Amino acid sequence: MLSNLGEDKSIYLQIKEMIEDEILRDILKEEEQVPSTTELSKFYKINPATAAKGINLLVDESIIYKKRGIGMFVQTGAKEKIMETRKKSFRETFLKKIISEAQLIGISKNELKKMIDEENDL
Amino acid sequence: MSTLSGKNIVKRYGKDTVLKNVDVEIETGKIYGLIGRNGAGKTTLLSILTAQNPANEGTITIDGEPVWENEKALSRICYSREISQVTMFGPNTIKVKDYLATARAFYKNWDEDYAKELIKLFDINPKKRVNKLSKGMLSAVTIIVAMASKAEITILDEPVAGLDVVAREQFYRLVIDEYAATGRTFVISTHIIEEAASLFEKVIIIDNGEIILEENTEELLARAYRISGEETAVDAAARGFKIYHPESIGRNKVVTVLAEGPVDDFAGDVQVEAVPLQNLFYAMCVDGRKEA
Repeated sequence: MLSNLGEDKSIYLQIKEMIEDEILRDILKEEEQVPSTTELSKFYKINPATAAKGINLLVDESIIYKKRGIGMFVQTGAKEKIMETRKKSFRETFLKKIISEAQLIGISKNELKKMIDEENDL
Repeated sequence: MSTLSGKNIVKRYGKDTVLKNVDVEIETGKIYGLIGRNGAGKTTLLSILTAQNPANEGTITIDGEPVWENEKALSRICYSREISQVTMFGPNTIKVKDYLATARAFYKNWDEDYAKELIKLFDINPKKRVNKLSKGMLSAVTIIVAMASKAEITILDEPVAGLDVVAREQFYRLVIDEYAATGRTFVISTHIIEEAASLFEKVIIIDNGEIILEENTEELLARAYRISGEETAVDAAARGFKIYHPESIGRNKVVTVLAEGPVDDFAGDVQVEAVPLQNLFYAMCVDGRKEA
């Protein structure tokens, strides 16, 4: 739980994405317990209903599941699932931004490709 | 779930109408934020809702029962407002511990252990007299009363006004702790919107004696946008939407748009950003009084 909440996006979506990030980074491992709504709301100073909304989205997408009376746990296969979803939105959220900025400042297609190759080799 | 409800509230002070036909509903089990400019009518509304001040017109009920002079109804509500440092007879020399003892006698669910814990947390000397307290300490005492009252509906009028940033954060976390543990209802008025916005499940915006908005905070912000870019593009993109506070610089224009619901995409080459509650409030209220 490192990141700060920003104002550019709904808080419940930020909570959702943050938990996803932690699963992707293996900070939260599959079948491990996820922080509770109350813990999240205290930590981030957010309304518990907002934290619950983010958690519920993850439940709906079968990223986490509820163990009655115990809490929320990361579903087996969650990491793979998140990667798939994120790959789908990668173009929309990242590539398009990079390309429009590149066009704006006159970086050619080839220059951009070269830069990506160079960064990837690091 | 219970509801504290105000219907058609009108309040006049002499020639001034400070509340103009206000309808408001406070549902239990939620944290509310009440925001409005100085003189918008926040304190008047809160004092009327808690029967500390009579309305000229309108009704206040809790679950259908009138609140006025209704001891049973009022015992469910705590309205903790800032203690006055002066009385009719001069400085208010009551000691903090005696002030708290009065509160203890008044609120039937008073939690003395919790009160003691909070006195420690806010580092208040109970032997100090009220007229010797700093602004921050006064705020802390009103917070202690509100929290320890354990009232079903707890109303705080600008509780953080005199507090430093550490104490403010402590207060926000107290509210979340209490809310998570008990589901008590909190109504909190504040000018420091940015740091408290994420606490509020619902927000009530009052301007010029009228409630201009009462809505789930997330839903409200999900339909608010800041659109900027070249003037004609911005005008085209924002056409048909409710626009607040247009500003121009050179050929660039910025508007705040409040749509009926979330908008997937605005037409044209414009920059679309989310609007924090404080900025939305500013955009909605900054031009209001000039027109009026």
